[in-house]
Amino acid sequence: MTLRTHYDVLGVEPAATPEQLDRAYRFCLELYGEGSLATYSLLEPDEIREARRRIEEAYGVLRDPGRRRVYDEEKGFQRAPQIPTTPVDPSSAVSAVLLTEPVTGAALRRFREQKGIGLREISLRSKVGVRYLEYIEQERHALLPPPVYLRGFLQEYASALGLEPRRTADAYLALLPRQA
Amino acid sequence: MTAVAPLPDPPPRRQIWSLGGGKGGIGKSLLTASLGWQLAKLGKRVVLVDADLGGANLHTCLGLPAPSLTMGDFIRRRVDTIEEVAQETGCPGLRLISGASDVLSAANIKHQQKVRVLNRIRGLDVDIVLIDLGAGTSFNILDFFLISDVGMLAVVPEPTSIENSYRFIKSALYRRLRELAQTQGVREIVDNALDQKNPWGIRTPLDLLAVVEREAPGQSDALREAIASFHPRFVVNQARGPVDIAIGHQLVTACTRHLGIRATYAGFIDYDDTVWQCVRQRRLFISAFPHCRAAEKVGKLARALLQNDGLTLPR
Repeated sequence: MTLRTHYDVLGVEPAATPEQLDRAYRFCLELYGEGSLATYSLLEPDEIREARRRIEEAYGVLRDPGRRRVYDEEKGFQRAPQIPTTPVDPSSAVSAVLLTEPVTGAALRRFREQKGIGLREISLRSKVGVRYLEYIEQERHALLPPPVYLRGFLQEYASALGLEPRRTADAYLALLPRQA
Repeated sequence: MTAVAPLPDPPPRRQIWSLGGGKGGIGKSLLTASLGWQLAKLGKRVVLVDADLGGANLHTCLGLPAPSLTMGDFIRRRVDTIEEVAQETGCPGLRLISGASDVLSAANIKHQQKVRVLNRIRGLDVDIVLIDLGAGTSFNILDFFLISDVGMLAVVPEPTSIENSYRFIKSALYRRLRELAQTQGVREIVDNALDQKNPWGIRTPLDLLAVVEREAPGQSDALREAIASFHPRFVVNQARGPVDIAIGHQLVTACTRHLGIRATYAGFIDYDDTVWQCVRQRRLFISAFPHCRAAEKVGKLARALLQNDGLTLPR
């Protein structure tokens, strides 16, 4: 199947909301993830790499309102007016907030503990394994997936705490040591 | 215009459903038995057919003793009609045609015998014929799958099972495509498509179609239609959590994107200790514990299949 547009790549409609894009992105990461049962025997390693590259490209464009607008205009997609992002769990956040200090693992952990939310709870809500949540807080970068995947995990973690997902993830990733 | 007598209205159509999956030991027979039981409870008249070549034991799954008459007696013409080998199961509306240990194996059943079996199965006076295909991808198994209105593939969340199910899908589809090939050249392309090292570099039905389009453009439309009408349905068995459940969605997406095949995720069955505990007692879990988790999911699966429905990803 030829996946012509960024929307095809993520498997969403051109009217997809940011939440739908996030969900589709996570689904695609799992589909083409390391050791994914559904694809490892079907595709060659270079095909999987190419699929991941296209997913990152598509998500990068569509998840950025400015770039998405340019892309839609270029491709002739009409969209309903942008619906503001709603937090994943409305009870946990009236309005999504940002950390006031640098977004380090330790800072995230302090924020979480202040809110009295356990990792297990976040894991249940976000479907991100407790182990990875621990690694995020401990900044054990070697054990975490590459930034392109980590971004999804971070956004889930942030949403579950009522933090603004995208900017929190960006801030955390910005502090990561550059990989050689 | 030639004078042709109008055909009488066809009788209400029986449906043939089948359950395969390529790999042994993933619970196909139990799933078939419990699905049949559930369909009967929903008011359908059902006949289960045990086409498991390796080990026909659907009767044991149903808690029945070894049957006195099997499909083998029908094939060898010891009885006149296929109805005679369909035994009652104790569940109203559910009958069973037991497998004949090895008589259906490729070496033992001739083409004509197979056609006779397939025709008589179609003629059974029931709502649904549900065939347990057993393991493997032999031609007989694939043919039963291909005549089915609803062809299901059971998978468990393990690499071997999923590899085998992809292989099953390709084998079944290529067998259908081969029947449609009009020239020796196209037959040869189809025959070689499953070979990893085929000279055309074909790895998927999409590749195959591209090669036929190039080599024999006149035949590609028929093949494309056959691919479009091929519609396997996945059932994820022994699911132990959300990650396992999600595999069904991934398989469907992978089939669409990388094989060009439309598949449906018909449903999943939880891993449930009740199931194997019942197996040891030779009881069917869904009849002994109709409210256990696995039984509830069989109920969902049956209803989804009857409505030609499936699970979709939340959007």
